[in-house]
Amino acid sequence: MFKNYIKIAFRNLLKNKVYSLINISGLAIGMTATILIALWINDEISYNDHFENKATIAQVFQNQTANGVTGTGPAIPRPLEFVLRKDYKDNFKHIVMSSWNNTRYLQYGDKNLSFGGNFMQEEAPEMLNLEIIAGVKNGLIEQNSIMLSESVVKALFNDENPIGKIIKMNNQHNLSVTGVYKDIPESNDFSNTQFIGTWDFTISNQTWMQNAKTRWGNNSFQLFVEINENTTMDAVTSKIIDVKKKSAPDEVEFNPQIFLLPMKDWYLNSNFENGVQTGGRIENVWLFGIIGAFVLLLACINFINLSTARSEKRAIEVGIRKSIGSKRGQLIAQFLSESFVIVLLSFVFSVGLVLLFLNGFNDLASKEIIFPWLNSSFWFASFVFIVITAFLAGSYPALYLSSFNPVTVLKGTFKAGRFAALPRKILVVTQFTVSVALIIGTMIVMNQIDFAKNRPAGYNKEGLIQIPVMSSEFSGKADFMRNQFINSGGAIEMATTSSPTTSVWSNRGGYIWDGKPEGFQEDFAYSSVSYEFVETLGLKIIEGRGFSREFPSDSTAVILNKTAVEYMGIKDPIGKMIRDESNTNPEPPIKIIGVIDDMIIQSPYSPVKQMMYVFDAYENSSYYNVRLNPEKSTSANLATIENVFKENFPNIPFDYQFIDEQYGSKFRAEERMASLSKVFTLLAIFISCLGLFGLASFVAEQRTKEIGVRKTLGASVGQLWVLLSKDFLKLVVISLIIGSPIAYLMMTKWLQKFPYRTDISWTVFMIACSGAIFITMVTVSYQAIKSATTNPVDSLRTE
Amino acid sequence: METLLNIKNASRTIKSGGNSINLLDNIDFKVNEGEFISLMGPSGSGKSTLLNCIGMLDNFTAGDYTFLAEPVHKMREKNRVKLYQEYIGFVFQAYHLIDELTVEENIETPLLYKNVKSKERKALVADMLDRFNIVGKKKLFPEQLSGGQQQLVGIARALVAAPKLILADEPTGNLNSKQSQEIMELFSKLNKEGVTIIQATHSEENASYGSRIVNLLDGKIITD
Repeated sequence: MFKNYIKIAFRNLLKNKVYSLINISGLAIGMTATILIALWINDEISYNDHFENKATIAQVFQNQTANGVTGTGPAIPRPLEFVLRKDYKDNFKHIVMSSWNNTRYLQYGDKNLSFGGNFMQEEAPEMLNLEIIAGVKNGLIEQNSIMLSESVVKALFNDENPIGKIIKMNNQHNLSVTGVYKDIPESNDFSNTQFIGTWDFTISNQTWMQNAKTRWGNNSFQLFVEINENTTMDAVTSKIIDVKKKSAPDEVEFNPQIFLLPMKDWYLNSNFENGVQTGGRIENVWLFGIIGAFVLLLACINFINLSTARSEKRAIEVGIRKSIGSKRGQLIAQFLSESFVIVLLSFVFSVGLVLLFLNGFNDLASKEIIFPWLNSSFWFASFVFIVITAFLAGSYPALYLSSFNPVTVLKGTFKAGRFAALPRKILVVTQFTVSVALIIGTMIVMNQIDFAKNRPAGYNKEGLIQIPVMSSEFSGKADFMRNQFINSGGAIEMATTSSPTTSVWSNRGGYIWDGKPEGFQEDFAYSSVSYEFVETLGLKIIEGRGFSREFPSDSTAVILNKTAVEYMGIKDPIGKMIRDESNTNPEPPIKIIGVIDDMIIQSPYSPVKQMMYVFDAYENSSYYNVRLNPEKSTSANLATIENVFKENFPNIPFDYQFIDEQYGSKFRAEERMASLSKVFTLLAIFISCLGLFGLASFVAEQRTKEIGVRKTLGASVGQLWVLLSKDFLKLVVISLIIGSPIAYLMMTKWLQKFPYRTDISWTVFMIACSGAIFITMVTVSYQAIKSATTNPVDSLRTE
Repeated sequence: METLLNIKNASRTIKSGGNSINLLDNIDFKVNEGEFISLMGPSGSGKSTLLNCIGMLDNFTAGDYTFLAEPVHKMREKNRVKLYQEYIGFVFQAYHLIDELTVEENIETPLLYKNVKSKERKALVADMLDRFNIVGKKKLFPEQLSGGQQQLVGIARALVAAPKLILADEPTGNLNSKQSQEIMELFSKLNKEGVTIIQATHSEENASYGSRIVNLLDGKIITD
């Protein structure tokens, strides 16, 4: 029986080639989109799956409230570790203090390369379940040990056995290699941990870290834990939530709350708003999941519409089959197996399309997804997907077609068009509503990105590079290097900064100034900079001046940004003093010498934070910011600067970043979203038009006789074109009326997450609407004009 | 002679607009096994409706209908289809072969619906092809056949499940006189082999092949 159904299905496909082409290509494209989105979603939700103990690993987070606003972050104070170890150790399997991911030079023999890595306590390899390929797993016991990833070993050692060898870190410290672990793959939070040094080592080298041992107010460290199996994240959180308040009375004013953020939330659920977890990337997962489902739905609607539109052709067959003894159930089975065949064929094509476009998709989405050929659960999911799609697309046509009364259809008085027209219209409206909403949504996303990109950055990003100078070899050489660079002709100015130009590394409070409100809990972004900072970056001075070599007193001076002046509530800030609040060991007071216009350092979608630029009196810099010579080409400038650098620091790799690229990366997440939604919007439009084209062909065919009669009565081609097109146009206009407000509401909500956001302009709706109408006209007109220009004699003779 | 079917006081009324129309009006009609009956009458007299109701494609709206002692009017749809698969074959004026199926497959289809086993199906179909002399055409599609040949296939399909009753609605309406004659002779032969036949026809000549003529007018039997 089933064989018979399949046979009929294939013969029908071959007999109606245009119809089959529309159906299969539409479904194949829809399924391709759905499969790509499914692979993407799978990749997103399996982030950090590399870690076997994903379910029990957590990072310790902290909420703190200042001036009524709660901030949330992973930075915690050092004493927290000791309290957790002493009073709460029963809850934890592992407790691991860790540095942030730092870049360090590692040297062996004549190779000196930079790598990212962490300094962690000894249980780290156990907790992260590192796969050891040489040496030992507990390799972080001796202070001067280091464990390396496989690729670092390959880069430094060639074929030599690294175990027990001494490597030099930052041309300064000798470390002994104790273990080699397999690289932690991409799509994991530790994928850039290419080496692991010991926690004790990094502390022994930095006085400020040693001093932080007892300071509950110094939130500068990371703490990872693995909880015991017999407890839960929530249970542990409820025990430790007030631990900082109890241990550090001075901190109570900030209401610090300590809690665990489970590893499964690190990537997908890491947004906090005023202390409340508000989602994160998981929202995009949902969004694209919904888009994928909609694109598939659109393709299924094509199938449903074309099947029911063709019902007049199938009706006779249904009548015959019923008259020779078919039960309705058998007919339903037949039509469902037909849709199964079509969906199966479409799936085969879509696998081909996925393979074809996977690379492009990976580029677009910044992923490294490979097609899961050998993954049995993928194939099982695909089978379920095919069956569901076949039911989604085939059920309504099967129920509809099998319901025909054999007597009516065989008598030839059956006209299906009128009965089926309404549901079909509703489905077309659904399709175009989705498409229009996607068009509007995508355009608004693009507008928002443009809007933020066009926001003045407050400094000149172009022709500016930053060179990391965190090794001690650079100390005391900044002025010398500045002269060298300028004299070489590759640069026209240089300034040092203690944090990169495009992020904030340091925040400070604890100041007093005249007119500071009672109980004000200030918090400034903070960077220390050298003399020519204003000139190098091209900042705009609003009041006062920049640091100058002509004023020796500038070593205790500060420049504020405009927001900071408003934040502090100072009038006439120039010459006013800011003092350290600490009673025991106050730092010298600093004088405000200038106010600059706000420069965007953090998110281009948020207001600029109040910031202090203090003079870097101790040469405590992390970066050289070099303004390239605008008279010469970038490549020539870079070559010159590299030469100067190599002459002075032969042992250090020349590393640099373009500031405008760094700045541009702030838009990457939204740009990625925009390009993905552009692609899926285009697919949705294409599929909808394909369906419309199919429907237009059938209507034209159905009305062949009517058109012939009208022509003989003197109707012009134009009049016939209007006659055949206006029904479709009406449907699309209804879709616009439904789709626009839906898109408006959704996008208004989306824009809420950007404090600095564009208004939704009516031109977006204008463009989307006229675009949709234009596309409809083009799609429908081909058929309309074709049948309107047919010789009426031909069309009447066919009756 | 055994009674094959018995219709008593049966009507079929449909509503059209605000009016009810009696397509069949108080029909009393009894058919014995082995009869060859011709229903005659002008267009709209109710011949086709009566055939459809006998064939269970349509229902009487009033009255009793007994088929082989089973009360059809009280049956549920599912049992009706079973009865119908077992005992009734239909032949149409427009042949109504399935265009996408070959001759062989068209004949096989009723057996598929009856869930007959594959081997048995093949045997029965081969038997039919042989009997109607169309073995050479079994792989052809309907559009490749003449009208007369298509009607032969139609009859073969109606007969393949060995029904007791063949219902033929103007079986020769689309055929020329020679082809008509062949088809009627075939019916005659089948009737002699024991198949009961009821045909609706306009043609006196076709009617003359039968053993009994029933005249209808405006949904009523006027002569029997």
